[in-house]
Amino acid sequence: MNRTKASSVIALSAVAVLGLSACGGGTTGNNNGDTGATGGAATAGGDLLYLTKRPAEHLDPQRMYIGRDIFTTGRTVYRSLFQFPAGEKDATKAQTPIPDIATEVPTSSDGKTWTVTLKEGVKWQDGKDVVCEDFKYGVSRAFAYDVLDGGPFQYPTQYLDIPKDKDGSPAYKGPYSKKGQALFDKAVTCKGNEITYKFNKPWGDFPLAVAGLRVFDPYREDQDKGAKNNFVIFSNGPYKLDGTWTKGKGGKFVRNDQYDPKTDEGTRQANPDTITFEEGVDESIITDRIVAGAGNDANAITDRVVRPPSYSKVEPLKDQTTLVDSPYVFYLVPNMSRVKDVNVRKALATATDNEGWVGALGGDKAAVAATSIINPSLPGFQENPIFSKIPAAGDPAAAKKILTDAGVKMPYPIKLTYQGGDPTLDKAMGVIKEGWDKAGFKTSLDPLTETYYDIVNKPNNDSDVFQGGWGSDYPSAATVIPLLFDSRQLSASQVGNNYGQYKNKAVDQAIDKAALITDPIKAGEAYSAIDKTISEDYGYIPNYIQRFYFIRGKNVTGYEQTEATSMFADLGTVGVK
Amino acid sequence: MYAYVIRRLFSGLVMLIVMSFATFLMFFNGAVDPVRYTCGKACGVPGVLERNRAMLGYDDPVPVQYAKFVKGVFVGRDFPDDPALRKSAPETIARCDAPCLGYSPKENSTVTSMLAERAPISASLAVAAFIMWIAFGVGGGIVAALYKGRWPDKLIVGTALIFYAFPTFFIGLFLYKFVAIKWELTPQPVYTAFTEDPVAWAMGLFLPGLTLALFYIAGYIRLTRSYVIEAASEDYLRTAKAKGLDKRTILWKHTMRSALTPLITLAALDFAGLLGGAIITETVFNYQGLGKLAVDAATTWDLPVTVGIVLTLSTIVILANIIVDVLYAVIDPRVKLA
Amino acid sequence: MSIQPPAEDLSTDVVATAAEEVGATKIEGRTPWQLVRMRLRRDKTTMFILVVVLFGLIMGITAPILSRLGVLDPFSGNRELIDVTGGGLPLGRFGGVSWAHPLGVVPGTGQDVLSRLVLGVTYSLGIAVSATLLAIGLGTFVGVVAGYSRGWLDFWLSRLIDLTLTFPQTLMLIALSPIVVRLLTDRFGVPEGDIANGMYVVGVLGLFGWPIFARVIRSQVLSIREREFIEAARSLGANNRRIYAKELLPNLWAPILIYSTLLMPQFISAEAALSYLGVGIKPPTPTLGNVLRDSIQYAESDFIFFFFPALFIAILVLSLNLLGDGLRDALDPKADR
Repeated sequence: MNRTKASSVIALSAVAVLGLSACGGGTTGNNNGDTGATGGAATAGGDLLYLTKRPAEHLDPQRMYIGRDIFTTGRTVYRSLFQFPAGEKDATKAQTPIPDIATEVPTSSDGKTWTVTLKEGVKWQDGKDVVCEDFKYGVSRAFAYDVLDGGPFQYPTQYLDIPKDKDGSPAYKGPYSKKGQALFDKAVTCKGNEITYKFNKPWGDFPLAVAGLRVFDPYREDQDKGAKNNFVIFSNGPYKLDGTWTKGKGGKFVRNDQYDPKTDEGTRQANPDTITFEEGVDESIITDRIVAGAGNDANAITDRVVRPPSYSKVEPLKDQTTLVDSPYVFYLVPNMSRVKDVNVRKALATATDNEGWVGALGGDKAAVAATSIINPSLPGFQENPIFSKIPAAGDPAAAKKILTDAGVKMPYPIKLTYQGGDPTLDKAMGVIKEGWDKAGFKTSLDPLTETYYDIVNKPNNDSDVFQGGWGSDYPSAATVIPLLFDSRQLSASQVGNNYGQYKNKAVDQAIDKAALITDPIKAGEAYSAIDKTISEDYGYIPNYIQRFYFIRGKNVTGYEQTEATSMFADLGTVGVK
Repeated sequence: MYAYVIRRLFSGLVMLIVMSFATFLMFFNGAVDPVRYTCGKACGVPGVLERNRAMLGYDDPVPVQYAKFVKGVFVGRDFPDDPALRKSAPETIARCDAPCLGYSPKENSTVTSMLAERAPISASLAVAAFIMWIAFGVGGGIVAALYKGRWPDKLIVGTALIFYAFPTFFIGLFLYKFVAIKWELTPQPVYTAFTEDPVAWAMGLFLPGLTLALFYIAGYIRLTRSYVIEAASEDYLRTAKAKGLDKRTILWKHTMRSALTPLITLAALDFAGLLGGAIITETVFNYQGLGKLAVDAATTWDLPVTVGIVLTLSTIVILANIIVDVLYAVIDPRVKLA
Repeated sequence: MSIQPPAEDLSTDVVATAAEEVGATKIEGRTPWQLVRMRLRRDKTTMFILVVVLFGLIMGITAPILSRLGVLDPFSGNRELIDVTGGGLPLGRFGGVSWAHPLGVVPGTGQDVLSRLVLGVTYSLGIAVSATLLAIGLGTFVGVVAGYSRGWLDFWLSRLIDLTLTFPQTLMLIALSPIVVRLLTDRFGVPEGDIANGMYVVGVLGLFGWPIFARVIRSQVLSIREREFIEAARSLGANNRRIYAKELLPNLWAPILIYSTLLMPQFISAEAALSYLGVGIKPPTPTLGNVLRDSIQYAESDFIFFFFPALFIAILVLSLNLLGDGLRDALDPKADR
């Protein structure tokens, strides 16, 4: 597979975590407020305010790859074949796809051919029916990834049964150049209101991918203006965009009169009359505004965590805060092409002070130490035997002994590259440095801004360790281990998602085998076994699982954060008093 | 006089050409591949670098790129720049009308339209700050001069210096967090378009405007103060006093006029510089003006936007200099027209 | 906005009168230095400010030595001093103030705030002094050459000054940062990290900071070169180099001194602003800007930590500005303030 992709780079950012849902009981450990529907029963009406710092990069469904954007738009303006149920407290059910525009979630006997029947009466905002051809056109856009970059195009381009060119790219080049159109027309076919996808290998996770991403969403060909449509929303959901969306400022959703709730499964309650998105607001300001609750700020929700300096301020407002584990795991990857000695990597892992790191990030409201790159909430997860043995605070003395025994010359220089820009993360990196330096390393910190993506993608970069963050694309370890550690995505010019340049034939083969397992639990166990192999090589060092400590306005009702929406607030259930 | 104006315009034109070419050399000198600075993290996607290179014409030598840019400013141009790409991917064609300052593949938008969208915000902020710094700066300076050496003088000059000593972003954040949110003394500093709601526009501008003004006030107080003191000691005023003109007339008709004329030049130039956006104030208050656009473009590697802004801002400064020089020549006949 | 404040009130004639004054004092048989020193000694405020500035300088010079000796410890964390469940805020009152940590500790890590600030003075002053030397050096060179040569060289140098002034300085600092830093490390082999980033900030601050000063020097030279003592030197057969070195430069030290003192606080503020925007020397290296960027988050939860970094910068900027004013008064008693 030739998977050199933007997903990697987005995932690397500590501030800009991507990824979607994660399976299992992620909601545990809530010690602040309750987990149930909060704020009382929601009723229709009112104006909801969505405050955030991070602007949406793309609102084009095929280009979205950020969990927050996928689910906020999914509950409001974009419908797909399948979806996850809103407000579902049972973690397993919350991550089991239910129909949306499809009449039912189908099964596939061989996992390669999937036929889905569409409901009648689902309309676009201009009153035209959503038809099979719209779905077909939508996914075809993923093949024009050089124009429409940013999205999780690796799934359709790898799985759909279309021959590959010599360079490994699909022979179909997307709907604009139309090169290889006949090949695409064979892989995705429409018959009346039935759409059929043909894959080149079994893909039992297909319904999960449809519900957890937007890349299979329908798109109207007559509305397509290519990359110019990045912030254009042509809705088929209960809301539509009022006016235009301005990046960095946001936009306003109002009711879409063409939406018929009878065609929906009841997940989109669509309570507020309007939803206003305000982008670019600093985290501390978001918290301050919601705490003050003046005017419309009392109707506000956010996707940004309360920052440590504000903890004492929100403490009295227990009934307006939630604290849940997020699906995102953060970790460090040694650059295997530079740190070749496994003992050095072992010493790094042993000296890593995750406890101090978590403290610098703000303590147990901000993060919990992790012992595996696979989120424990994913199906089939098994404890990582290597990393769970290392004390959370690290053991610099033991690490020093490892280095001494291995005869490594000390101080051993290490350049740790990460995406900077956040003073809190800078401090946390200082803690890592302190632990490593005690063990006999000489650590230099290298915080980069946007250059991070450029540097990290160069196979010959001179960094020894990188920082990454990852959340599964849909609830399966199949969207973690293969994406991060398959060596076949490495090329002379790109490292793809495998920025530690980890190469292990046994792992590659095991990944291929695991991909064929259809039972989610068994597959999860197989990936945990691969995780163990990688850990024996110290191919990465797990750090922490991010936690979501959110605050909301005092008038917000029906507030839910479940696995169905990657632990972000569910816009399907929320309302305002 | 006309000859002077024409000469001044001509030298401004030469300056524009040199400045724009120098900018091109700075960013496209070949030391670092500029395409890498056009796509941010999307640069990792296969095909994107090549597409952007052909789209923006970065494969041309610098002088050719420069010539195309200049042509675009006057007659507009089409992107992608590469004719082959235009043919093979007609859906990506973007018309960039004159004055075309480039195209951002990252934002799928022409730089001109991005600037036009942001300009009113920066202009509003500049006006608000200008009003405040002239009111407090010049007003404070006059008061300080009139009470020279006594406590109002010391108080005004001292306060201004202390405010000036703290970094602008510190003052801005302090005002935002305490004055607007915690104590709720002012409305939220959120930008509303003037056409939408003039009252909300003015209210929202108060804190950002003040933050920005505080940066200038200290300098203006001191300047005004020393100009007024200097003017008050000039000989002709002594003559006027001797002639028996009353104090007030002397102060306002003579002293102030001669003291404040040079300030007009300076204020006009500072104001012009602000039209290009106040990077820090706009960042602190999340005002989506030119300054915020510039810092976002620079930190997320949107090179066409960065170059477009640098050129626009420098042009504003050059033009403002010409206007001020010409106006000055008109106002003050003593200025040598050389 | 530009990082530098509006043009300082150092109009060329003020400086010119300073020099004139200096020249005139020769009649009294006192050297200009003696006279200035006398005036300074009488100005109590300036003497006090001078002590503050000297104290800051000593602090800056000794901090690296002290931290190597372990007296200052700006990097080690003290986890036992912070409240891990309460957002990492320091335990105890007033941001964890104690004898061991007179200004408390950094939330999240428990590092000593005073040590970080003192070392921060080293970094910030280092940047400011280097950038000032570069700007003043360039400004003097261009100003003297332009003013003395006149003619076409003067014309083009003046245009160069105009040109440099048209660029939006802050924006250039941010925009050129990835390109130039990469250039420094890849092409010129400058070590990555603090050194390359520091060189970049110093270089760009200096390169955009010289023009106004060059203008001052130029007009200063223009007025001096017409004066009798230059005429005399020339008629005695002194060559150009001799005139530059022996006659011109000694008459320029007043504006050089004043401007250096006034440029430094601008560059200290600039470093802080750039840190806020994420350009320049990166954390955990404690420049004052880096410490402040972290501390402004704690406005309400840890006032001590919030306030002191800003206060350090403010004291440095304020005292250098006042010192510049005092020097101007001493060098130019006619200027009224």
